[in-house]
Amino acid sequence: MVKVILIVDDSPIARKMLKNSIIKYKEFDIIEAVNGQDGVDKYTANKPDLTFMDLTMPVMNGYEALQKIKEIDKDSLVIVLTADIQPKSLASVMALGAFTVIKKPAKPESIQTIIEKAELKLKAMRG
Amino acid sequence: MEPNLNDIFSSDEKDILQEIMNIAFGNATADLAQVIDIYVVLSVPNIKVIDIGDLPHYIKQNIPSSENTSILQQKFWGEFRGSGILVFPQTSGKDIAGILDDQFSDDGFTLHRQKTEILLEIGNILIGACVGKVSELLGTFVTYSPPHLIVDDSEGHNNLINSFEENQTAIVMKTIFEFENKNINGFLMILTDNESIDWLRHALQNFMESYE
Repeated sequence: MVKVILIVDDSPIARKMLKNSIIKYKEFDIIEAVNGQDGVDKYTANKPDLTFMDLTMPVMNGYEALQKIKEIDKDSLVIVLTADIQPKSLASVMALGAFTVIKKPAKPESIQTIIEKAELKLKAMRG
Repeated sequence: MEPNLNDIFSSDEKDILQEIMNIAFGNATADLAQVIDIYVVLSVPNIKVIDIGDLPHYIKQNIPSSENTSILQQKFWGEFRGSGILVFPQTSGKDIAGILDDQFSDDGFTLHRQKTEILLEIGNILIGACVGKVSELLGTFVTYSPPHLIVDDSEGHNNLINSFEENQTAIVMKTIFEFENKNINGFLMILTDNESIDWLRHALQNFMESYE
């Protein structure tokens, strides 16, 4: 089951939009990080079940943060939520091990669907 | 004196605008990637409020030499109105010509014409996709004038600077981009005037309410 969700995005409004979409679906423990480095640090400290990751961020971008998180935990489920929907960007993050990519702005229904898929994946992984 | 962004937009409104620009620039580069085999590296968008009177200075600061810069402008009209401005350093001329056609000419006149056509097309795609996405997200639509290129000479540069009326406020939304492996970088600015501000604030609130 998904209990803890990490949101990594430099935009406070993007974090708020995503948070509102998530809690419309169900209550979770939500942790927020303001850039990729903060995301890696909070991932290490909290080991969330699910991570939503932006790509274009200061300090450390989402590609690097995704790579570092996968190095820490190869089974981590990282959903990239980005405005950068160029085919090469999408291919790069999938190659780095993202669970899936969602185009910004994500509708609450898409968030709900993706959390359901993540829960199924976690169930299969954890047994 | 530079107006304070916080005097015009609340912190939330500024954040919403920045996120909308982030989405719009991402949309614009994806549109470009569909028609040209190119990957665009984007920066985090920056939003500033500037008195129109200070805009010439801002443009001069951001476009240091008119002789080495190609500037493309496209105006848009509607509830949200203003100008999209795309700035490329002119030293990347051959690289720009090479984007669409590897067999570009070495002849100066032909190269210049090819580069102009390509810049107009790239500008049309980037500005149109970016402004179009902002308009879509904010629930309105705009019409466009054809893009035009201001190149090479200080006269064109000065005409651009002098085309803005004084005593107005410009919201400058800027992102720096780089065409990977093409040695081309530049920036895209969306300028809108103070007549659009009331509408923009209202539209930003409406946008956010759909996520409350």
